[in-house]
Amino acid sequence: MVTSLPKNLQNQELSWYRELLVVLIRRNLKRRYRGSFLGIYWSLLNPLVMTGLYTAIFGATFAQYYDNSAFNYVLAAFTGLIVINFFSASTAQALSSVVENGGIVNKIRLPLFIFPLSTIGANVFQILMGAFPLLVIITLIISHSVLNAFALLLPMTGLVLVCTGVGMLMSALYVFFRDLSYFYELLTFLLWISSPIFYPVEIVPESVRQFLLFNPILPIIESIRQISLSGDLPDLALIIHSLASGLIVLVIGAIAFSHWRKQFMDLL
Amino acid sequence: MQESIRLEGVSLWRRTQEEFSYDLKRTVLSFLEGKYRQPAKKIVLDDINLIIERGEKIGIIGANGSGKSTMLKLISGILNPTSGVVRVKGKIAPLIELGAGFDMELAVMDNIILYGVMLGYSQAEMRSRAKHILEFAELENYALVPVKGLSSGMTARLGFAIATDVKPDILILDEVLSVGDVSFKNKCSQKMEEFWQDHVTVLLVSHSMELIRKNCHKTIWMEQGQIKMIGASNDVVDEYLRCVSPGIEIPQSVTTQV
Repeated sequence: MVTSLPKNLQNQELSWYRELLVVLIRRNLKRRYRGSFLGIYWSLLNPLVMTGLYTAIFGATFAQYYDNSAFNYVLAAFTGLIVINFFSASTAQALSSVVENGGIVNKIRLPLFIFPLSTIGANVFQILMGAFPLLVIITLIISHSVLNAFALLLPMTGLVLVCTGVGMLMSALYVFFRDLSYFYELLTFLLWISSPIFYPVEIVPESVRQFLLFNPILPIIESIRQISLSGDLPDLALIIHSLASGLIVLVIGAIAFSHWRKQFMDLL
Repeated sequence: MQESIRLEGVSLWRRTQEEFSYDLKRTVLSFLEGKYRQPAKKIVLDDINLIIERGEKIGIIGANGSGKSTMLKLISGILNPTSGVVRVKGKIAPLIELGAGFDMELAVMDNIILYGVMLGYSQAEMRSRAKHILEFAELENYALVPVKGLSSGMTARLGFAIATDVKPDILILDEVLSVGDVSFKNKCSQKMEEFWQDHVTVLLVSHSMELIRKNCHKTIWMEQGQIKMIGASNDVVDEYLRCVSPGIEIPQSVTTQV
């Protein structure tokens, strides 16, 4: 068919995608919070409760790895939970996004990638309104540095990229395999356990620890913790590592999605 | 006259419904057993050649599964052909099942913007048009009601109002004019009349031969993914009816509802 669009048509398509993204994100949020009083702040409840639970169970034992301070453990657990929560919620929603909209895309010509993107986008909005400001406050209190607060945006970008990549990959696979959600639950659980969220990475045996490096979330958690909790200036190596991790996952997801996209319509 | 739609040697193969496995576990198992095979494909459209001029009103008839809707999906850009070229000039307003793009949970107002953006208009544009759309659909008092609270007739009216608020270049109607009450039907025909004057290309799929005869001057008869006949509506409809119900004499120009 048409291989290369003229420049102004291309711009038109791009601005259409942008508009679509905005209305779909808004739809997503409106649906989720229709009639709920606390609205977006429900999303904060989960990491807060989990932090409390982990601290009650592991806090006393693991405090020794956090300068003998239970409070440091609370902060470490909380930052880790924010990251992993965002990952599992946004990718799980993205997984079913293309299939859920199978009805509409059979009636109106729409770019299919807009659906996983808009679910991730809705979750980004949610974290920017809820958990992220809290993280900024913690950072400002501990580091006394505005630079650190701004630097938080970089590993967060890495996180969003990872989630977009995984979301695209999963939403594409879900078109073919409708039982994927069960496997994916297991996968996020594995990722959850293999990320040092509620335990210090030091307790993991050396031989196992090298496998943790395959976890794309790990550099992001480490970078966010370094920026917000260490009190030092942002570590550039960690930031680059987390951004690189995001880019790699995004490229894999985008390639897989566009490669399989042609077959989607027969199965939706 | 200007050309509006051109299909050149268009064929489409699709995976057959029975072959859907949808199942990771089974796919992996069949791979391990060495029984995995490529999913079977079936030809849905077979070498379609078609040119539609700007402003023509085309009726499309044929049995269920003959490829009518699939051809419209190709023209709308929803599906891409396996081989051949589809060329379409201008903005398309698809009215395949009115209101298919609505989100039942959201308010009418939100849906006007959502649906409009999906059809390719900007949010700002839709906001400024919302009032006019609500008026046309006679839903001024329902702007904040969720769409699931509307009757099916109201939903159809809303869909029609949004899709036709701006004059499209090509309007695609797939079995949709049979909804709504009498007064709204009249409104629709009035709007269609406007489009007719304004050289909007209209593609109308219907099983109502009366509707086709009345509104379209040219008709395409599809059968098993091919164009069986194309020509003046009366000729094609007569031939179609003769073929579908052999033995029954159909008097000329008597309309029959199928």
